[in-house]
Amino acid sequence: MTDPAAMTDPAALAADLVGDRAGGWDLAGRLPDDVVRAFAAAGVLCPQVPARFGGLGLSSVDTGELTAHVGALCSSTRSLMTSQGMVAWAVSRLGSPEQHAEHLPRLAGGTTAAVAFSEAGAGSDLSGMAARIEVDGDKVVVSGAKVWVTGAAYADVVLVFGRYGDGAAAVLVPTSAAGVTVTRVPDPLGCRAAGHADVLLDEVRLPADHVLGGAGLPVEWLVTPVLTYGRLSVAWGCVGILRACLAATATHSRTRRQGGRPLAEHQLVAEHLAELHVAEQAATRLCEHASRCWDESTPELVSAAVLAKHHGAVAAARGASRAVQVMASAGARDGHPVARAHRDAKLMELIEGSNEISTLLLAERALAVWA
Amino acid sequence: MTTTAETRDADDVRRNLLEFLKQRAKAEVEPDFDLFAGGLVSSLFALELVVHLENAFGVTVGGEDLKIDNFRTVDAMTALVVRSGGARG
Repeated sequence: MTDPAAMTDPAALAADLVGDRAGGWDLAGRLPDDVVRAFAAAGVLCPQVPARFGGLGLSSVDTGELTAHVGALCSSTRSLMTSQGMVAWAVSRLGSPEQHAEHLPRLAGGTTAAVAFSEAGAGSDLSGMAARIEVDGDKVVVSGAKVWVTGAAYADVVLVFGRYGDGAAAVLVPTSAAGVTVTRVPDPLGCRAAGHADVLLDEVRLPADHVLGGAGLPVEWLVTPVLTYGRLSVAWGCVGILRACLAATATHSRTRRQGGRPLAEHQLVAEHLAELHVAEQAATRLCEHASRCWDESTPELVSAAVLAKHHGAVAAARGASRAVQVMASAGARDGHPVARAHRDAKLMELIEGSNEISTLLLAERALAVWA
Repeated sequence: MTTTAETRDADDVRRNLLEFLKQRAKAEVEPDFDLFAGGLVSSLFALELVVHLENAFGVTVGGEDLKIDNFRTVDAMTALVVRSGGARG
């Protein structure tokens, strides 16, 4: 730790831990274990856990700004915030008071966590999940094959969603339990160091109190609160991607000269800068609105999170493409901030509701409000 | 409209929820209408209902209260609010 402010300020801690190393982590395809552990121990990966459980107790708005800050430094690290935050929120939302007391302090104090939704045969339509959680006396038995679990390669515990009776349930599975196999996705397109992994669960036997409350609800009831947290977190992460792109392109286009003038004085380049600025501002305002809805507990938060995520992901993917265009050879190597942004942003159009699924949800919202 | 758990009764809760359904789902229903059988509750709207109950009546709906039968009708949600201390019975 080189910066004393990093001891108390999570944003300073993140800047200190990441430094200028994110490009190297992207090339290596992994984060150093000590960095992941330091983020987890400081509670930065799930900043909304209340102080009474040992968490940072940040509001959604403040968590969002922190998420954008980390996202601008390193989208892989930001992905871990999204995953761990979803697990902590699932425990808060679905768990009993006993489960809050047992799990929230751990999640805010060093335990690393990931959340497993997708399977080879169930992505956007989670009602097609085949994973099963079956009660056997005072135990549950968890079986299934989850894919592309962000952060699973670093996780001490994975929150697994599966079929449970006529509905679904979520169960906390320690990765050290017998029957759990975690296999890294070797070459992800983006967020390359986020520890994406497939998680095989072969008749994993656990105490029944590892199952969170709400067991038996329809799967979409169970996952929507968790995905809502994830969508908002991804949306703020996209704000971070856009800020990283702006910082790189603005500096470059002011200093790099072509035809006797700085790049920024060429109008076609200036358009890229202007559009990046608009994209970052619009994405930020939509995120702020959704986070304020979250902090005030207004029902609009659910659709506002979809809106912020959808706009953020599309804007980040387009914006990163512009940034690569402006940087050209100066940014066209893996590891460079805009090259990372280009690949990372594309992934944001796929996760926590693909562009297509977000579009359908937003159409539903439009009908509800305007029809 | 009353605003605290002490002065609010079940009828106030029922009226509030019927109005919420009217505004958000464009649905005018009877208090015993099965919202799921009627296809009125989408995945997003389910969570909006939970957040609305918590916000409007100062109750916490978590853990074992998260059962589908507690949300099936306006009457069932009203009973949940009363049981959770958000209104007099």
